[in-house]
Amino acid sequence: MAAAAHGARDVAIVAFGQSDHRRSTDELSEVELLMPVLHEVLAATGLKTGDIGFTCSGSSDYLAGRAFSFTMALDGVGAWPPISESHVEMDGAWALYEAWVKLQTGECDTALVYSYGKSSPGSVRDVLTRQLDPYYVAPLWPDSVALAALQARALIDAGDTDERALAGVATRSRTAARTNPHAQLRGSVPHGGYVVHPLRTGDCPPIGDGAAAVVLAAGERARELCGRPAWIRGIDHRIEPHSLGVRDLTDSVSTRLAAERAGAFERPVDTAELHAPFTSQEVVLRKALRLGDQVTVNPSGGALAANPVMAAGLIRLGEAAARIHRGASERALAHATSGPCLQQNLVAVLEGDPR
Amino acid sequence: MTEVLSAPLVVEFPFTRSVGPVQSAFLTGLRERTLLGVRAADGTVLVPPVEYDPATAAELRDLVEVAPTGTVTTWAWNPGPRRGQPLDTPFAWVLVRLDGADTALLHALDAPDPDAVRTGLRVRVRWAAERTGAITDIACFEPYEGDVMVHQAPSHSGEFVGEAVTGIVAPARLDYTYSPGRAQSQYIRALSGHRTVGERCPSCRKVYVPPRGACPTCGVATAEQVEVGPRGTVTTFCIVNIKAKGLDIEVPYVYAHIALDGADLALHARIAGIPYDRVRMGLRVEPVWADSATGSRYPDHYRPTGEPDADYDTYKELV
Repeated sequence: MAAAAHGARDVAIVAFGQSDHRRSTDELSEVELLMPVLHEVLAATGLKTGDIGFTCSGSSDYLAGRAFSFTMALDGVGAWPPISESHVEMDGAWALYEAWVKLQTGECDTALVYSYGKSSPGSVRDVLTRQLDPYYVAPLWPDSVALAALQARALIDAGDTDERALAGVATRSRTAARTNPHAQLRGSVPHGGYVVHPLRTGDCPPIGDGAAAVVLAAGERARELCGRPAWIRGIDHRIEPHSLGVRDLTDSVSTRLAAERAGAFERPVDTAELHAPFTSQEVVLRKALRLGDQVTVNPSGGALAANPVMAAGLIRLGEAAARIHRGASERALAHATSGPCLQQNLVAVLEGDPR
Repeated sequence: MTEVLSAPLVVEFPFTRSVGPVQSAFLTGLRERTLLGVRAADGTVLVPPVEYDPATAAELRDLVEVAPTGTVTTWAWNPGPRRGQPLDTPFAWVLVRLDGADTALLHALDAPDPDAVRTGLRVRVRWAAERTGAITDIACFEPYEGDVMVHQAPSHSGEFVGEAVTGIVAPARLDYTYSPGRAQSQYIRALSGHRTVGERCPSCRKVYVPPRGACPTCGVATAEQVEVGPRGTVTTFCIVNIKAKGLDIEVPYVYAHIALDGADLALHARIAGIPYDRVRMGLRVEPVWADSATGSRYPDHYRPTGEPDADYDTYKELV
């Protein structure tokens, strides 16, 4: 069931901005990291904070160890007089989903969505263990690379990939990132030794800090604010059981279902921005989304080139939209993930007006 | 560019969590070296067991006993064990389907090197010497040369000799290097020189103390530094009657919002040097800096200056 086919309101991404993603940003507080990106998308649309109907953000206090950091980040928005605002303790892609729902209600015509992540103050591999089942899994502290490596091994055993093919994903991603000025890892990057076998350094995303923002607008408002809006033709997200031992790690049922409901299989896409922090996860997603070789996958370099946790999913939506804005894509798929081994997945289908 | 400050920050908390009846039976079983699963409506045996069916959300209560032996369904070699992980020498992470179960359990496998590990490897539980009713009662798995003990998992009452486990305490610790960014670093540096420095918004001209680098009203960067105080006015206050743990201050005491002269945002601090029941709105105060011998870099508290009280109209916008 594609949302657009059922009388949903036409909503588009009309602006996208992101910071340069860097290994550390000690000189910047979270609001200092975020504010230039907010200003960028507001300037691109000519909107002021007071013009925005709804503001929604995604972030996690655990990353930098700062309680209520999202309230501090709100300083960068300029939330006076009081604004209509919400926050998700998730990737900003889910903040975008909430904003899309808000726009569907007809209560507003524009929304500002932003997210940021500062992984540099902590150890993100360990921080992410705190999202796991607290009874059976979290007490073992299985870090994010270890869990991804279990998935990679399952894929290799199933004959879906091998280490050489995974290295190829890494090389293709970072080569593509040469043209992405915001990327953290670009060009030739050594594949390195095993972090957790069978995943090598090159199979893992860079650890870093970054922020991103988009502006959404509905109907005619979108056309006023953007020369070529990236219309959200469908958007959906699905989650799988938390227990890894219950899931088939070589498949992503939730991605496929979200894609079906977003209408992704109704017509081919020319571009896909996939949120695959590990090379092996791109293999799973390509399979679930039935992406053939004619689809340009992650022209931005994807999360293997820059992975600001909590923003990397929103950036996939933004990158896909930006390609439509500049006429480099007609119909693009954007994907975001959350949780270990692609537990939860969001898929959106974006289109430009025919030219 | 001012040198940015940083300091170690440890976030640590012992999470106390209650368990449901299925989790209780499983964890009590681990303490008693017995492995329990739960049978779903379709006959599938889930290990580790859950309270509700992951597919249908049906309540699950049909406990069965599975074997302490099983088969590796996937694995990953961990050359560098991290804090809190089951083994402190290199080991394999494994998903193990125990004999009698249809789903797999995540744990560690003690093996000499990755060449000793493969999917399909037969393994058995190595129990921890001291068991408390937690997933760590399984110390790890170890390779096992025995036959596959294929069997229909028999029903189990979930009852054991001794008290049933009703909860777990899961300690969590994360280590950070905290850096407050440019604006707050400059603020803290100024404090070390007994100066309070805010930042002015280029748009609305308000001076924020402490500065966080942005004007929360206008949403723009602040950069122009403005020294404020040292004196200020109590805009509002409360009387604290509960002694905080580890805080060496006698109650009752007064905690107040103080608008420093030249600042457009009140900061908060303790008031001393005056009986608690004499503090009032409009009271003029000044900082008493913490003894530098302690390494402190902030006003320990504020005390009355002896000036006449400020007129309400001079601070009403800051209440």
